[in-house]
Amino acid sequence: MAIELTVEGVEAGYGTVRVLHGVSLNVREGETVALLGTNGNGKSTLLKCIMGIVRPESGRIDVEIDGEKIDLVGLAPREVVERGIGLVPEGRRLFPRLTVEENLTLGAFRGAARALLSDNLAFCFEAFPVLAQRRRQLAGSMSGGEQQMLAIARALMSSPRLLLVDEPSVGLAPILVSRMIAKIKELKDEHGLTVLMAEQNFNQAIKIADRGYVIVHGEMALAGESADALRENELVKQYYLGTDL
Amino acid sequence: MFTFDLFWNALVAGALLGGFYAAVSLGLSITFGQLDIVNIAHPAFVILGAYIAYMGNEWWGFDPILTGLVAAPVFYAIGVGVYRFYYEAFERRDDEALRGLAFFFGVMFIVEVVLIMAYGVDFRSVQAPYIGGNWEIGTIGIPTRMFVPCMVSIAMFAAVYTYLARTFTGRAILAVSQDRLALELMAADPVRVKQVGFGLGIGTAAIAGALLIIIIPIEPSVGRLYIGQVFAIVVLGGLGSISGTLVAALILGVAESLVSTFYGPSWAPAVAFSVLLIALAVRPQGLFGR
Repeated sequence: MAIELTVEGVEAGYGTVRVLHGVSLNVREGETVALLGTNGNGKSTLLKCIMGIVRPESGRIDVEIDGEKIDLVGLAPREVVERGIGLVPEGRRLFPRLTVEENLTLGAFRGAARALLSDNLAFCFEAFPVLAQRRRQLAGSMSGGEQQMLAIARALMSSPRLLLVDEPSVGLAPILVSRMIAKIKELKDEHGLTVLMAEQNFNQAIKIADRGYVIVHGEMALAGESADALRENELVKQYYLGTDL
Repeated sequence: MFTFDLFWNALVAGALLGGFYAAVSLGLSITFGQLDIVNIAHPAFVILGAYIAYMGNEWWGFDPILTGLVAAPVFYAIGVGVYRFYYEAFERRDDEALRGLAFFFGVMFIVEVVLIMAYGVDFRSVQAPYIGGNWEIGTIGIPTRMFVPCMVSIAMFAAVYTYLARTFTGRAILAVSQDRLALELMAADPVRVKQVGFGLGIGTAAIAGALLIIIIPIEPSVGRLYIGQVFAIVVLGGLGSISGTLVAALILGVAESLVSTFYGPSWAPAVAFSVLLIALAVRPQGLFGR
């Protein structure tokens, strides 16, 4: 029982604009890997390539699930999700005119998750009690923090083996960012979730990452083998911590 | 002249009429309200359903409602085919706004012309044991030819509502127009979901058509008379709300019946648009709009 994601030399873009210039990374079972970089460096594009939303021009994206190797390039997003990879998308993308519970239930559309609907629902309500209180409220009428929790919970409803999270901190007050990050760590520690998290908030992301990558102008500038290695790196200091070299 | 006898009779007759309107509007509430497809051909499919009920009744003496139920799966398949074509020809190229509208306009005329060629423009009606009966409760008369369609309509609403609320595909139909990509990230195929939804909407037209021809004799072009009413009902109920459509249909039926009783039947067609205009001014999202 193991899952491993391998991205190798992926180049991708939109129209004539190339965003990724050959990036590689890998995520192993049980890890939380941070994909760091400021806005516009290609974090979201890389996650979209993995999910099949953006098709890479070249490079490989493979996932090995319990010994079976699957080529993800060319699969539609729903086919990637069917294989056990979930995405909490940038901007949350909830169904605003459906209730919290309806949003969560749709999360279990995946064939393998349907039978687990009531278990997963109970799990999400336990992990995010505010969602249980608001189960009949329309998703679009909740606050940003609550919507982000719902977006994560909805992705968990598909029982993903690997969860991709795109910028969970965007648009949230600092106190909520800390809570969100702590919640992802709790989910990971208690339920053995494997997480790849794109985040521009270095200080928050590094709290829970086992290791991380720094992406600059569509290239992997650095692969840090531990949180400490990242924190001590000169490049990171220059980009994120405002320290002069 | 106002009397309470007249009032209660008009109220009951209006509620029964509203129940029937609900059946005609249900399909549009799904295709337009949920899927964002401006299917102005919906009333034409209802008329087609009415003619199929007529054929079953005329040739083999079948009960019109039974014929409607049997025809519903066939209409579902027609709906799937129509959506498939609409998707490939317009929606996939983001051409649906104007060309899609013209497409459904064309579908409407094709259905109408085919029916005229096959049956002419004479009015047609059906025979069934419940047509012509009348129950008296005190001074209130309940014609069975209105009562039976109203009950069938409510049963159909309950079935569709349950399907949309309780099944995975049903819930996906409710979500698909809100965020297509997000639905794909739930492992659903938006095109297939819309296809099922559109088929379901057209499927209800088979049954609604049978109810129509029970209530009133029809000819091929009467479908056009209903376009305004059904759109008014769906918008008044709130786009995206199935139960809102039922309530709006009942409100419109009662309003039309009261107006026609106390001010004369010639005013009745104006009611739908008056109610719609007032509703849009006071509550633009509709009564139950989310």
